[in-house]
Amino acid sequence: MSNLLNESVTAQIREVFGNLQNPVHLLFFGREQNCDYCNDTRQLAEEVTSLSDKLSIEVYDLDRDSAVASQYKMDKAPGIILAARDGDVISDLGIRFAGIPSGHEFSSFIQDILSASARDSGLSSGTREFLKALTKPIHLQVFVTPT
Amino acid sequence: MLAHMMAMENPKMITAEAVEAMEFPELADKHGVHGVPHTAINDGREHVVGAVPEGNLLAAIQRVAASI
Repeated sequence: MSNLLNESVTAQIREVFGNLQNPVHLLFFGREQNCDYCNDTRQLAEEVTSLSDKLSIEVYDLDRDSAVASQYKMDKAPGIILAARDGDVISDLGIRFAGIPSGHEFSSFIQDILSASARDSGLSSGTREFLKALTKPIHLQVFVTPT
Repeated sequence: MLAHMMAMENPKMITAEAVEAMEFPELADKHGVHGVPHTAINDGREHVVGAVPEGNLLAAIQRVAASI
């Protein structure tokens, strides 16, 4: 199977990932039926993960691994979760992708990995203060297209 | 992605999902998505259309949180 990412992109990402500080763990959720983009998304996630030893990935099936899916409230395939890894502890960062992060979304995907690894949102202190103090659940769904 | 960065500040309370609209068309239609990006907060309690700065998205979140 040929790579999804060409050599030039791979080289650029590998260089950018040279600055990764803390480990990031990817959780991929696919399903066998009715998921046109599952194979490509899984391959993309695996290729990106292979470009740094600070990254790891676990592949799950939404139906067979329903316990993990409900633990992370994951209900869509293909889906990718970016989590923090500190030793053996995986911590949810609240970051989800539903659908293949290709085209324009691919740079968001890479940028999110960098921020997750830095453990730093880059947001202003006022924003951080408000968000940290939230006691009600907030679910943000950002609809995007790859072009 | 801004929404993802906001989730990082409080993952227990905030989940941010980037949803590819062409793969999930019923969900996009349910929220009346025409232009992207389009952010639906708490299942459409509020909508933010377009790429907006941090302050705008924060204000929308604040309104939704105050209404819960």
